[in-house]
Parts: sequence; C-alpha cells; structure tokens
Amino acid sequence: MHLPLLLLWALSLLLPSLVHSAHTSNWAVLVSTSRFWFNYRHLSNTLSLYRTVKRLGIPDSQILLLLPDDMACNPRNAFPGTVYSNADRRMDLYGENVEVDYRGYEVTVENFIRLLTDRWADGVPASKRLLTDEGSNVLIYMTGHGGNEFLKFQDSEEISSWDLADAFSQMREKRRFNELLFMIDTCQANTLYRQFYAQGVIATGSSEEDESSYSHHADNDVGVAVIDRWTYYVLQFLENEVKDLQSEKTLGDLFDSYDVEKIHSRPGVRWDLFPGGEQAGRNRRVVDFFGNVQGVEVQDRDSKDSLKEDLDGLMILVKEYETFAAAQEKNRTMRDEYTVQRDTASMGKVQGLHHSKPVGPMRLKKDSFSLRQVAGAAILAGLGSLWYFGSKVVI
Amino acid sequence: MKCLVSLPEALWVLLTFVSCLSIVAATDYFERLDLTPLPLGSLLASFEFRSNESLEAYASQDFRYFPRSLGQVLQHAGTKELHLRFTTGRWDTETWGARPWDGTKEGATGVELWAWIESDTEQEAMRKWLTLNQGLSGLFCASMNFIDETRTTKPSLSFQRTGDHRNASLHLLHGVLPGKAGVASLLDGHKVFDASWQSMSVDVRPRCVSGQNCLVEIDQTIDMVLNIARAKRPREDPIPRPVQPYELICDETKPYHSQDTCYPIDALETPAWSLKDVFGRPAAGACPLAEEGGPEAKSLCLNIPHSQGVWIGAGGFEVRSPPGEAEKRCYQMIAGEPFDFDMPKTSVRTHKQIELEEELITAERTMTGHGAAKGGMRTVFTNPSATEPVNLVLFESLPWFLRPFMHTLKAQIVESEFPFEWEIIKDLYYRPAVDRRRGTQIEVVLSIPPASVVMVTYDFDKAILRYTEYPPDANRGFIVAPAVVRILDKADASGNAKAIYLRTTSLLLALPTPDFSMPYNVIILTSTVMALAFGSIFNILIRRFVAFDEVPENKIGKLVKSARLRVATLKEKITGTKADKTE
Repeated sequence: MHLPLLLLWALSLLLPSLVHSAHTSNWAVLVSTSRFWFNYRHLSNTLSLYRTVKRLGIPDSQILLLLPDDMACNPRNAFPGTVYSNADRRMDLYGENVEVDYRGYEVTVENFIRLLTDRWADGVPASKRLLTDEGSNVLIYMTGHGGNEFLKFQDSEEISSWDLADAFSQMREKRRFNELLFMIDTCQANTLYRQFYAQGVIATGSSEEDESSYSHHADNDVGVAVIDRWTYYVLQFLENEVKDLQSEKTLGDLFDSYDVEKIHSRPGVRWDLFPGGEQAGRNRRVVDFFGNVQGVEVQDRDSKDSLKEDLDGLMILVKEYETFAAAQEKNRTMRDEYTVQRDTASMGKVQGLHHSKPVGPMRLKKDSFSLRQVAGAAILAGLGSLWYFGSKVVI
Repeated sequence: MKCLVSLPEALWVLLTFVSCLSIVAATDYFERLDLTPLPLGSLLASFEFRSNESLEAYASQDFRYFPRSLGQVLQHAGTKELHLRFTTGRWDTETWGARPWDGTKEGATGVELWAWIESDTEQEAMRKWLTLNQGLSGLFCASMNFIDETRTTKPSLSFQRTGDHRNASLHLLHGVLPGKAGVASLLDGHKVFDASWQSMSVDVRPRCVSGQNCLVEIDQTIDMVLNIARAKRPREDPIPRPVQPYELICDETKPYHSQDTCYPIDALETPAWSLKDVFGRPAAGACPLAEEGGPEAKSLCLNIPHSQGVWIGAGGFEVRSPPGEAEKRCYQMIAGEPFDFDMPKTSVRTHKQIELEEELITAERTMTGHGAAKGGMRTVFTNPSATEPVNLVLFESLPWFLRPFMHTLKAQIVESEFPFEWEIIKDLYYRPAVDRRRGTQIEVVLSIPPASVVMVTYDFDKAILRYTEYPPDANRGFIVAPAVVRILDKADASGNAKAIYLRTTSLLLALPTPDFSMPYNVIILTSTVMALAFGSIFNILIRRFVAFDEVPENKIGKLVKSARLRVATLKEKITGTKADKTE
C-alpha cells in the first residue's frame, strides 16, 4: 500500500529535473541603486544587462529598468548622450532607444518592493508594472553599494535581505513567478540572499561576507570606473557563449565560469530553494532567464463554468458594440453621450480616492485691503472692550 | 510600443506607418525645419510636425495621424486640450535675440503641463488630471507622476485656451515639475543631448474651421540651439584638443597683443557645416505625406541673407523669399532622395548677418538673502523700448516649503529714463499654500514703463521638512519652478491678439538640511551610554554583598554535599575491601 505513494514521492522529486523549464514568458527587473557621477559603473552594469536581455529577445515592455541618475546627460560626461561599459567605447549602451521605467527619485525601496509585489495606487501605467504570472521566469539584477545583508538605495535608504526574502515569498504566494534568478553585484553580495525562503529562486552574488566587490577598469576620458568585475565576466560569458536563443549553455556553465583570480572576490550561488536542488538548477538553460519565450497557455477546456462565463462576457461585449453601432448610426450627439457615459463609467471605478478640490487664486484689491484692516481693527476693539467691561461686571 | 522614448522617433514610427497608406488628404500632415544661424557659432534648429484628425475619427478611436497611445490616454482622462513642454537650458536673450515661436512653444526647465479637462465637478477634474499625469508618465518615460496636488495650480490669467471648444465645463490645471526629469530620455540623437538649449512641445487642441469641420490637431515642435563647432566633433572622440598656435585667431585690439601673446577669439567665425555634420545624417527627402506643391511643401528653410552662398546637393531645389520679406531660402526636397547642403565658413567681419529680433522685455529672477531660515525673491524686468510700456502677467507657482509674505510684495522702478509717475502693480491674484497639500500661486499684472528697469521683490521663509521628506540629494537644494511671464495686449500684423511668453530660469533653494547620519550617531551613542550606565547601576543596586561563610546553603548545595559524602564513603568502602584482599 505504501509502495505507490513512495513511488509517487520519488517521482515528484525527480520530475522537476526532468521537465525542461515550462515557462511562458520572461521578465527582467534591472536595478541600479546608486546616484552621482562617481557611480557611473553601476549604471553601465545595469545598462549592459539591459542590452543583453534585449539582444536575447526580451521586449522593452517586459524589462523594468530602474536608474536613479542620468549619466548620459550628466554635465561631467565628455560623451554627451552616451554611456559606455568599456574603455574601448565600441558599444554605446544608451544608444538610440532606451526605456527607463523608473528614474531619479522614483527609485526607492518602497517602489521596488511595490514593483515586485505589484501593489500600486490607481492609475499606475502598465509599462511601470511587473505584470508576471505563474508561468513567468523573472531575472532580477541589482547593483549598488551594499554591506552585510543590506543594499543602499541612493545614499538615503537601505533594503535588507529580509525585505527581499519577504518580497520574493509574497511573489511566490501570489503566483507571480515560475522561476526566479536573482543576481547581485555589490560588496558582501552573497549575504543579500541569505534569508531567502521562497521556493523556485536561484540566487547568485559577487562576493562573500566581509569581501568587497571591485570595479574592472576605468576609462581615462570618462574619468571614472566603467564596469564592475563580476558583471564584466558574467557579460563576457553571455556575449561569447550565449550567442542566440538556441544556445544550450546552462546556468551551471555560467556559474562555473566564475574565476576568483579574475573577479578578485568569491562569488556565491544558492541552489537549495530551487525544486530539484543544484542538479536541476544547473541544467536550466541561461536563455530560460535571459532570453525570451512566448508561450501560450491552453486553459482547461472541460470546465463548463468558465466557458459559460466567457460566452456571457462575449455576449456583453457584443451588446455593447451593438448599442455603440446603433448610436453611431443614429446621430452624433447620441454617440457623444454614449462615449461620455462609457468614460464616466470607467472613471467611476477608481473613485475610491478622495481628492481635494483644487482651489483657485483669490483676487486681492487695494480697497478691500483697507476695508479688511478696518474690519480687523473693529474686531480687536470689540474684543478689547468685551474684556474690559467683562472684568467690570464681575467686580 | 511601451514608451515613446524619443519624440522624433515616435514621429518617425508614425510616419513610416502612415506613409504606406498613400490615400490620404495631404493637408492632414505638415512638417517644417527652420535653421537660423545665431551669433557666436550657434545654430537654432526648429522642427515642427503637425497633423490633424477629424473629431469624429478621434472620438471613435480611428487614429490615422494621431498617435494612438497618446489619444487613448487623453480620452481616458477627458482631456480636451493639452500642452506639454520639456525644456532644458537657458535661452540667452542677449546673444540669441527673441525666443522662437514668441516663447509659446517653450516650457519651464523640466516638465510643464497644462490641460483643459472636461468634468462636472472640480474634484473629478483633479482626479482626471492625476490620471492624465500617470498616463503621460508611462508614455514619455518621464517622472510626470510627481506632478501631484502640491505642484498643481489653476492659473486665472496666464494661460488661454487656444483651441475651439464647444463645451463650457472645462477646468484648466497647470503643473510644473522643475528639474531634468525625462528630457534626457526623450530627445533622441546624441547631437540633441549636447544642445545648449532645447525645448520640446506637444500641443493637442480641437480646431474648428468655420464652426463645422472640427479637427483634433497635434502640433509637436523641437527647438534646439546647437554649437556648430561642438556638434561637428566626431562622436567617438568628442574631447576638444588644443588648437595649434598658427590656427589661433587673436584679438589684435588688446593692448598686450604681440607675437607671443594672444587673446583668442574663436567666436567671430562660424565654421562650415552641413546637415550631416550637425544632425549626424542628411535629410531623408520629402515626406510623402506632406503637400507636394505650394509654400507648405518647402519643408526645410534657412534663415540667412541672400548674399550668402550655399552649396546644395542633388535631392532638392532652392526657393528664395521675395524682396520685401525677411531674407530666407527654403528647399523643396524630392521624396526618397537624401538631401544635404554645405554651408561654407562665415565670418562676422566679411559676411552680412541676419538681424535678430529683439525681445520685448527681459526678465531675470534671483534669490536674495542668506541663512537657512529666510530669503527673498527678486525679479527684474527690463523694458528696452523707449516709447512703449509693456503690460504683463507674472505667474509664479511656488512649492509649499517656500512661504512668501504677501505684505512684502513690492514693485519699484530702479532705473528709468521715463519721467512720470507710474502705477506698476495693476492686479494681483493669490492663493496661499497649505503645508504638504498645495503650493503658493501668485499672479501679478504688471505694467512696465518705457525705458525702465522694474524690480519686483518679496520675502519668504523656508520651511523645515520632515526627515523622510528630503530627497536623496538634499544638499543640492530644491528646485523652484521658473516664473512664467505672459505679455499682454500685443497684436500681430493682422491685428489679432498674439500670445508672447517668456520664462525665467529655475532657482535652487537651499533649505535647512540636517546631517542625516546624526540621528543614527545619537541613537548609537545614547544606546551605548544607556547600556553601560544601566548595566552597572542595576548590577550594583540589586546585589547584596555578604561574607562567604555567611551565605546560607541552598538546596543544590545540600544535594552536592550529600552526594560528595556518599561518594567518599563508597570510595572508602572499596579501598577498604581492596586493602582487605591484599592483606
């Protein structure tokens, strides 16, 4: 009797390692957390990753780029409108189009956690949201200045490893990802993923506790370091080994390419949260996280309820369209009314928030000014007399 | 497309999309590039793109010439007229003359947005306004969602509707986001990033021709002042190298000028340039959508005197303005043929320059005072005209943490060649600030007498912010939005009222800023002192000191004693028996 159960259990253990990643979409959240010119390299790190995931097919609508400063247009930049991650300056990372979703003061811990957990106020545009589902593979890359279990955001606040761990766990509970690859390049980076407990996360960092992460090289004309070591070698692997979406290189290959001699710090990897552990994780292809798939989910056809719901929904749409078409034929005014109605109906949904009434300016006149002075003096005199005579009455 | 990263690019996408359907009326699209060389080797480039959509098509979301993403945002937020401005840099009136478009296409440094929103109540208008800001923030990749209630005003005099509206229940809202938000990512092309001054505008408004055919018009302009020598530098190697001594042009009027001493003047000469030098690529030929004949077809114009020679390429032909009009030449390009021209090197000494229009008035705003608690604002208006007074509206939208004192608002003539008494302040509109809820709004109608300099001043207090309200770079200062100056009572050549605007530069307000690490220092130090003091004092207080033998025995002690006793007896027994055995 126990044998089939045992078998099932064994199978369930085996299964994740056998099944090739079954995700249906790819998303990337790329975060630089540093402001100011001397942190140029953190922006170029992030932009390099941005170029890589874009090269491997993730569209801009599925990349969320958080950049706290604008190096391309910094007055100190001798190369206006460009950001380079290499002193040879062959590749302009800013290029012709870059879509920065969160910039400047918007890059805060609060916004980052809101982004991950998708808790927003009304009206936040879709382009600024991480609209993932249970079939999404998410790549999260962070870089900045950090320490033991924390990462600074813009020199004014910090995110701790517990915050990250809780956010990921919430994402797991809300079925916001299938698998998640967390990469971080900062000092003592490996401490940042120490507290993670959500299943399905692979984490990797650039340096151990009490270790610094170093920059790779500086460009003398730019005047500052242009890229960090760990990111540089990760990129080198991605550029040389992962040429296109057909690449069979695995995460194992990527992590094996870490060379402590070159990186000058000890990078770390955490597999234990991944179903199937290290064995399964190592077999994941690099493009499962850095590349893009456009999978189609076929929903269960047997459930009649959902079919009925769908049909009802369709009927409503058809009716709406019919009224609209009828109105269009009748006359213009009716259609205008209809559009207004529809708009107000859709606006009505977000009526929860209370907004104060905007107050216009008041006209100040000279004559009213003297009048008010007189009125003020009269009130004061009245109060004074009240006080004076009041004391008389009591005595 | 998720975001219109760059307007030109978005336009280009739009263009390529519509150019495939060549069955459209040509007048629905218009484009123009005006190039005006300015003194000191600068070049003003003004792009304009205008397209129409009939109101019916717009209402039924049948977008052909109107960007769908923008149209949907506007319809969702009930916006009937929209004016959006992205500007950075300072327009140098002294050297560059009057502003392009009379300043109507220009915004405050940062992002400026004003819109007429249709709604029944003002609360609803506010809600729609915030929705609009959120939507535009996603569309233009700019932090426009920061335009919240504290940065929103309802100007009463400074902005006029420019479109034809039928509905009356429209609410005007105006928001400014000073700073460099968004502009950087908006403008494409590395030459544009390098401009000394740049301004982009998007205007959407309904237009009715003879009250019948109503259109929705979208007008987009990009203006920039480029330094030609800078723009010509190769992109891979933009760092200027020292000029060879023999290439130096010296100012020979200097008393110390000699064989080995040179005061270089490089601004007398404008280097040779072409479209490719300045914009990185030649013009791609006429747009198939634009009109094929007539004055609107000449989409590229050069404002230079007729006496100046220009070598033009094969892709277009030149039409000069007739005598009597301002001297300029326009080029009609051929579709599909790249077009470029070569402008030879010109010098102030040898070439006639185009005359620059003078600004009607100049305004300069600065902050006065010192210290972290108080300050003052001073706006200086200069009317250069010897005969004409200038009436204007000064519109200021101040952040709530700058608290002006209205009783200190004064206008005085500091310098005048005009001998008569003059009433400067004609009218005043004021909305006081509410902390953290809304900012101050001041609108003053001023009249500046001829040939005078007028100074408008007021004092203000600086508020102390809460610890978490400071931005990450608080010590840089807080940007105060530029003041908008609207010149009143001016008519164009045909007698119609003409809008003329100018804006002052934005200001940096230094607020009292705490040492942000201090609370942590205090917490750590206090905790350490507390721990040390509390630990030792508590220890001393609760402890009773007694002699060792006075200590009463407790249960454990008794147990240990008895156990020891037993072990000892056991040991004794064993050793005793052992001894017996050996004996």
